[in-house]
Amino acid sequence: MLQNRRKFLQNIALGSLGLSVSPDIFADKKNNLLSRNFSKESNQTFNMCGYQAPKIDKVRVAFIGVGSRGTSNLRQMTYLEGVEIKSICDINPEAIDRVQKLLVKQFLPKAKIYTGSEESWKKACEDPNIDLISIAVPRGPLHAAISIYAMEHGKHVAVEVPAIFTIEEAWNLVETSERTRRHCMMMENCCYDFFELLTLNMARQGFFGEIVHGDAAYIHSSGQKGLVSGKERIWSLTEKQRYNGNLYPTHGLGPICQAMNVNRGDKLTYMVSMSSADFMRGNAVHEMAEKDPYYKKFDSATYCGNMNTSIIRTEKGRTIMLQYDVTSPRVYSRIHMLSGTKGACLKYPLPARISIDERWLNDTEMDEIKEKFTQASVKRIGEMARKVGGHGGMDFLMTWRLIDCLRNGLPMDQDVYDAALWSVIWPLSEWSVANKSKPIDIPDFTRGAWKTNEPVDVSLSKGGNTVIRERLL
Amino acid sequence: MNRRFYLKSAAIAGIGMAVNPSGVLGKAISTRNQSFKKDFVSIGFIGVGNRGRGLLNLILKEKGVRVPAICDVNPDAIIKAQQGLRDNGQKNADTYIKDEYSWKKLLERKDIDGVVIATTWDWLVPIALGAMLAQKYVGLEVPAALTLEDCWELVDTHEKTGTNMMFLENCCYDRECMAVLQMVREGLFGKPSHATCGYRHSSYGSPGWLDSNIDLTNKPTKKNHEFSLLKNADQYPTHGVGPVANWLDINCGNRFLYLTSTSTTANTIPDYVQNHPKGGPEHPNAKRNWKQGDIITTVVKTYRGETVMINYDNFLPRPYSRDYSLQGTNTVWSGLYLKRGIYVHDKSSSHQWETGEKYDKYMKEYDHPLWKNFLKQHKIYDMAESILYDESIL
Repeated sequence: MLQNRRKFLQNIALGSLGLSVSPDIFADKKNNLLSRNFSKESNQTFNMCGYQAPKIDKVRVAFIGVGSRGTSNLRQMTYLEGVEIKSICDINPEAIDRVQKLLVKQFLPKAKIYTGSEESWKKACEDPNIDLISIAVPRGPLHAAISIYAMEHGKHVAVEVPAIFTIEEAWNLVETSERTRRHCMMMENCCYDFFELLTLNMARQGFFGEIVHGDAAYIHSSGQKGLVSGKERIWSLTEKQRYNGNLYPTHGLGPICQAMNVNRGDKLTYMVSMSSADFMRGNAVHEMAEKDPYYKKFDSATYCGNMNTSIIRTEKGRTIMLQYDVTSPRVYSRIHMLSGTKGACLKYPLPARISIDERWLNDTEMDEIKEKFTQASVKRIGEMARKVGGHGGMDFLMTWRLIDCLRNGLPMDQDVYDAALWSVIWPLSEWSVANKSKPIDIPDFTRGAWKTNEPVDVSLSKGGNTVIRERLL
Repeated sequence: MNRRFYLKSAAIAGIGMAVNPSGVLGKAISTRNQSFKKDFVSIGFIGVGNRGRGLLNLILKEKGVRVPAICDVNPDAIIKAQQGLRDNGQKNADTYIKDEYSWKKLLERKDIDGVVIATTWDWLVPIALGAMLAQKYVGLEVPAALTLEDCWELVDTHEKTGTNMMFLENCCYDRECMAVLQMVREGLFGKPSHATCGYRHSSYGSPGWLDSNIDLTNKPTKKNHEFSLLKNADQYPTHGVGPVANWLDINCGNRFLYLTSTSTTANTIPDYVQNHPKGGPEHPNAKRNWKQGDIITTVVKTYRGETVMINYDNFLPRPYSRDYSLQGTNTVWSGLYLKRGIYVHDKSSSHQWETGEKYDKYMKEYDHPLWKNFLKQHKIYDMAESILYDESIL
């Protein structure tokens, strides 16, 4: 029966895919970004949404990339029972040293080391005594390459954002996950921030009515100095030199998509994108190049616009406004606004607010809301998460939930379809920006399964038994 | 009196400098100068509903204004407007109330220098064109033109007749928006790169939603909710766009190049009607094809490379907002409705908005001269606009 339904959905998906491909994409000669695999004409071989993998009592983890982000991810895991940090991989000996010291400090055995070559990560993935590979290497094609390699070798994957950078990578990631039946969770930590979880729970319980629109953003000033990356982070400058679009979409988009049940009842259909000119970085690089010849190759170039604004429309007729700005001197913001037929919320500028009718709620009413709608995981471990820290506690909430799901054989809150979809906004925005903000269709990585996929479980009805090593707090 | 005289001379001198001797503008100036010598101006009011009477009462605060003629099809509005005139020490005005074309008679009067047009949306442009052709100065309420053709008609007619038309976009005179303009001009922002604005004004559950007698045929005067049956667009952009256009030098060194606009579905009105005790699934408005989406998000690119995001959100229950913010290479400002805050590079603490008193200090320091020197007495910007409009005639 289930098989039949899936078959039926596949047929529908195939039928509609043919229609949804915009001829513009293929006619566009100067921009071959989307030339291949834009809308995949393949069936979903297996639905990873809602997939319950076999339970793993003790999750054995390998960390690939233990720079500042990787180390932080690893530190979160040291607070959990039911986890073994088995191995670490990095080409930087100092990073490895730092992690080993951290493990000792947390009363844990030192990890096995993979280092010495640019391909050491392969060895780490091949180790049969590993269940989960946690990836935090610099942004670029290695995110997808390592994820795919790890899944091919039977490992579940937790990969840093964005998971993929091209549409082809996105499809490869999805197909590999389906074929190997291994989870590929993108570590979109902002989905686990306190206000985001609160509003997700409120959305689920109908507080906002029908959600009509959401605003999201990644507005994070790198400061005047950060405009020209240091040599150790030169990938960051290369990225902005080469690409113009919404280059970091997932932090803002993830929580909004969850509130709208995207991939699980709704889908992103098409988008438009517009970048302002670059008013800052080019000048800063030019000044730097005068002082240091190393930066000459970065001069002369045009740079990603200061501000990118993208608008996404969903199949059910909702819209999402998504911005990206890491250059302008601005106060940090992900906006996180949801507007519904009964109420709205707006996180940034802080403090976060919620409105009913035409009025923002006062402090007392906000306390009542928190009392009533605090999400189950936050109730359970919120206080401990704040103590562990990591972007205020959201990193720990995410890590605990990831491990708890693996240990209890529960579906991922954020599965491979979310990873592909939230990340693919980058290449799609790039195309739209390069083509005078023309609309572009967004691939349906679920290939029709979005119509029947179950929403993310926010009630913690299953699992929740992963123990925290409280004595370390 | 002296001040006004000074302004007049300054205005003339300023205009003189701007004249393009051989162009259309030259002709415009020659007609424009004719009425400069009057001691008072006579203004006719076309449309004296809520908004028209609001403007009337403000304009009457200015000495040197006479309002000898008013026009409206609604007798109630006329009675109230006459009361307003008497309250301000003026005589009853002559009235033009016969039909929807009575404004033409008003425009034939020789003693009228200018008109303020505050009618329903469909009538704004036809009357403005008529007024310009009758060589009257025009104060035209928002949203003015509803179609591209109307936009060009306004421009062409202005150039052809040389008659001044001022668009009464009151939000341009918002004190904080003007302070921000001052900041831009003095370089505090560095180069502007992005601005946001919008019009979020909930009409949720307005009586029109349950009006079962909507008739769009043979009806030149449409109500606002009736436009929602006709098109899906940002139907009220100017309150947001006005101040932004000033900050970004639009039409004065910069211009809007292209835009993209995305709409949500149009479910809110039919859902409301369907679920309302006085509505229900059989109510005609539950079955109508409402076109206007709940939220329209528009992004505009400018010639210099800035982007502008404009929201239109007229249906959903939300706190009122015009969503003003401006970002530059040195400063970012977030206005009243998002959060009063300013962040200045190298002055503000990292990632901290300056709010409260610190914010007020900026607003005071950059208070626009118009507000600072000229309008100390008045609290509301409608007043400012009304008086400015006057000045442009005198």
